Amino acid sequence: MRCAFLGFLVIFAAAAQPPAPPAPGGFLQNTAPKGPTPRTPEGKPDLSGVWSPGLDFARLGQVPLQPWAEALYKERRANLSKDDPEGHCLPAGVPRIAPFPFKLVQTPSLIVYLDEGNVHSYRQFFLDGRGHPKDLDPTWMGDSIAKWEGDTLVVDTIGLNDKTWLNGQGLPHSDDLHVIERYRRPDLGHLEEEITLEDSKAFTAPHSFKRTMTLMPKWEIHEYVCNEFNVDAEHLVGR
Amino acid sequence: MRFTLPVAAIGLLLAAVPGWSHHSFAAEYDSNKPITVKGTVVRLAWVNPHAYVFVDVKEEHGKITTWAFESLSPNALAQQGWNRNSLKPGDEVIVDGYLAKDGKPLADGSMHANSRKITLADGRTVFVGSSADAAYQQGK
Repeated sequence: MRCAFLGFLVIFAAAAQPPAPPAPGGFLQNTAPKGPTPRTPEGKPDLSGVWSPGLDFARLGQVPLQPWAEALYKERRANLSKDDPEGHCLPAGVPRIAPFPFKLVQTPSLIVYLDEGNVHSYRQFFLDGRGHPKDLDPTWMGDSIAKWEGDTLVVDTIGLNDKTWLNGQGLPHSDDLHVIERYRRPDLGHLEEEITLEDSKAFTAPHSFKRTMTLMPKWEIHEYVCNEFNVDAEHLVGR
Repeated sequence: MRFTLPVAAIGLLLAAVPGWSHHSFAAEYDSNKPITVKGTVVRLAWVNPHAYVFVDVKEEHGKITTWAFESLSPNALAQQGWNRNSLKPGDEVIVDGYLAKDGKPLADGSMHANSRKITLADGRTVFVGSSADAAYQQGK
C-alpha cells in the first residue's frame, strides 16, 4: 500500500524560476586529484581512468556550415531537438558533445574507449600501426587508428555515418567526417583533448576546439540501458 | 504546514538550447510551467540516462497521485555528492520542477515532470539541478 502523506500542494506559477546555482563542491569546480602524469612501463603517458567532460562538453564553438547543413541545423533547432537520435537511444557517434563520463583502458597496442552514455558505446584506438581499412562501410562510431607523437596520443577517425548529431543542438555532418583527436594527460587529474573536425561535404572549413576532462577516481562508468527506461521518447513533442 | 512558493520572473535563461541530457529539455518540458509538489518518496530509480524520483502526493479528496520526476544523470548527481541513498522511500519532500509539455502521464500512469530541487523535511536540499538550468544549457 502506498504511503499517504499529510499535506498536498501543487502550485502552478506564471513565470519560470531562476535556475538553481550549482551545489558547493559541484562539478563546476575542479575537484581533480593532484599528482604527476602516470606512465606505463613503456614510458608512455597512461591515459587510463574514468573521465568526465563536466560542463566542458558543450564547448564546441562555431562550426562553419555549408548552406544545406545550416538549413538542417535550423530545422533541428526549430524542432527543439525532439528528433535527436541520442534521445531515442541511438549511439552518440564521434565526437558527440555529451556530458557522460567515459573510461579509457590502455594497452601498448590498443586503447579502448568505453562510453557510459549514450547506450554503452565503445571505440577502439588501434595502436599497432595499421591503417584504415579500404572501402569502409560507414558506422555509428567509425574506425579509429592511433599513434603517439611524443606524449600526445593522436587518434584518427573516419568511416562515420551521417546519422549522428555532433551535439544536442543538432549540428549536422556528413559521412565524409574526419575526426582528429589529440589527447594529453598533463597531470594525474586532467585529460586534455584537442579535436579537429573536417567534413568537405558539410563544413566550409575545418574546425578545431578543445576540452579538458577531469578524472573521476570514485566513479565507475554506470550501466546505461536506454531502452528499458527511456520514458522520454514518446514525450519529446518539440514546440 | 504550508510553504510559500518563491516566485521570480526569469524565464528567458531557460529558452536557449538543449544541453545536459541525453535528450532535449525544451522538447519535453515547459520551463514556463514550474511546479511545486509536496509528497512522500516511494521509489528512486538510479539509472541512466536520468535518475527518476517517484513521489506520492495526496490530493484534496484523499486520492493519491504518483509523480515521476526526471532528475539529472547518476554521474552528474554523484559529482555533486549525492547517491542512490540520498533519497529513501518514506522521505517527505518538496519537489520543485517543471511540467511535461504534453501533459500526458508516463506509461505506468504517473504524472510526468522534471525536477530541479528536492527539499527534505529537515530543510536539506538534494538532487539540485535540472537540464533546464542555464549552466547545463550553455556548458559554462
